[in-house]
Amino acid sequence: MRKLFLSVVLLGSLALAVGCGSSSGSTPVGVGGGGGGTGNVLSIAVDGGPQSGKTYANGMFASATICAPGSTSNCVTVDHLLVDTGSYGLRVLESEVSSLNLPTLNASNGHPAYDCVAFADLSFLWGPVQKADVTLAGETAKSTPIQVIASSTANIPTSCSKGNTTGDENTQALLGANGILGVGLEPTDCFFEGGSACDPGSGVTPVPQPAYYTCSSLPCSPQYISVNNQVTNPVALFPVDDNGVIVELPSVSGSASTVTGSLIFGVGTESNNQLASNATLFTTACNDFDTSFEGQAFDIDPSNCGGAGSFIDSGSNGLFFPDVNNVLPVCSSPANFYCPTSVTNLSATNQDPNNGFTAVVNFSVDNASNLFASGDAAYSTLAGPAPAGNGFDWGAPFFYGKNVVSTIDGQAVPSNLPAPPWWAY
Amino acid sequence: MNKRSASNRLSWFTSVLAAVALLSLPALASLGGDVSSVEADGVHMKASANVAQTGGYQVHEMKVPTGTVVKEYVSPAGRVFAVSWHGPFIPDMQQILGAYFQQFSAALQAQPHQYGRHPLNLQEPGFVVQTGGHMRAYTGRAYVPEMLPQGVHADEIK
Repeated sequence: MRKLFLSVVLLGSLALAVGCGSSSGSTPVGVGGGGGGTGNVLSIAVDGGPQSGKTYANGMFASATICAPGSTSNCVTVDHLLVDTGSYGLRVLESEVSSLNLPTLNASNGHPAYDCVAFADLSFLWGPVQKADVTLAGETAKSTPIQVIASSTANIPTSCSKGNTTGDENTQALLGANGILGVGLEPTDCFFEGGSACDPGSGVTPVPQPAYYTCSSLPCSPQYISVNNQVTNPVALFPVDDNGVIVELPSVSGSASTVTGSLIFGVGTESNNQLASNATLFTTACNDFDTSFEGQAFDIDPSNCGGAGSFIDSGSNGLFFPDVNNVLPVCSSPANFYCPTSVTNLSATNQDPNNGFTAVVNFSVDNASNLFASGDAAYSTLAGPAPAGNGFDWGAPFFYGKNVVSTIDGQAVPSNLPAPPWWAY
Repeated sequence: MNKRSASNRLSWFTSVLAAVALLSLPALASLGGDVSSVEADGVHMKASANVAQTGGYQVHEMKVPTGTVVKEYVSPAGRVFAVSWHGPFIPDMQQILGAYFQQFSAALQAQPHQYGRHPLNLQEPGFVVQTGGHMRAYTGRAYVPEMLPQGVHADEIK
């Protein structure tokens, strides 16, 4: 697979030589000015993040140029956006884009829409939905609904915070990034099970969900919002190369101070994004697949999206899975990672929930406390526990030394490939 | 992973949610509370509920309007020893953690701040909260180890 992607790697290296890297936040730019890359190749870097002296472990970052809709001069380039295949849509700190005065989009009741997204660690982001032209490398998604992460914590409803009122990561110091670039399997952040749970016409939801709100009267209340106004995976709005992405990163042996790679747009649409003939491809059920580990099966239940599904998530900074044989002690504090006394080699088998295809993944788990003490930014052996109702969260370490392909639900792919969403590596 | 076989064993019945109960809702404790708090949770979350007897305990399963399934595990003594969730939206932690919420919230804030997104594994004296998943597919559970009925292993909570 790596040979076939050689041209891509070369392109990525070229792109790296041209752009990327500053940690100074947003910078006004003139006409054009793609963020850190050329054509359909966006440079990514695992560089510890934008906060000096505080390392963001295994964070993959990229830059985007964000412009007022239709403008080529009212623009900023925002660096250190976390590349996240586990979420959908661009979210950027208000401080980075406030100078653009972006137009706000409305919910179905005609009032300005606010978006709320929660993450698995119970942190959340809250802020208005605004419209921008988003340029990633040489590709532009025009009039893209994005979430502008409000600098104020005012009026955040309990159904957004889930009661975790201090979980709002609305500054660079709290988020460890300037935003999140969600390029995963769905076109908007309210899609699941093949439809949008936030669109009034979807028919899949009995009441407005706690994702979009209006605040014309307080407290802010959940509202329906049309798919067109929902925070959208910008890749899905590209004029070309709009069906998915490929994350390409070199191998990391243990840990590395910095790693650079590429985010390629499109799958099977250009010479540099063809699926390798020997690629391992997993179609999904409920966006997940199955994994067996230590004799135990973690299976997604397609009938109700229950069970214990597995997924590939560049935004998770380790490999997270239930330690079924209790061989991996968790670190003392915090207990979010494993701290074995020596490197532990393990393997798990991923399985396609639709056709039964399987492939073995070998991986190693090292002592997280020792890894963090190294001061490096990239760790291929960082892992931690997941609840028993979870399968495998194949996070950032999974990506090192692979070309990981993800395709977007509802988008067209070449006829020799299955209908998205699916993963390949 | 045992979900399918477990659901086959479920003896489903519909819990009728009286509209009058919606009028005055005490936000009763869930985790650590007694079985009556389960019904209060169901009403509060406007959920439809089913009860299954599994081994030595009951599982009250509620599907809330967000599409998320919340399960409350009730011991033979009538106490909620565990809660789990699975679905597109994380449930209200205050509601499901009940009396443990304050301690949970303090513990969350007391965690050493480290950049990076990951599932949560909060091992507190007296209770455990674990989360995971990704956008529109969140999972999690909370339990009180000392309240687990005899012979029940934490791995059964999912």
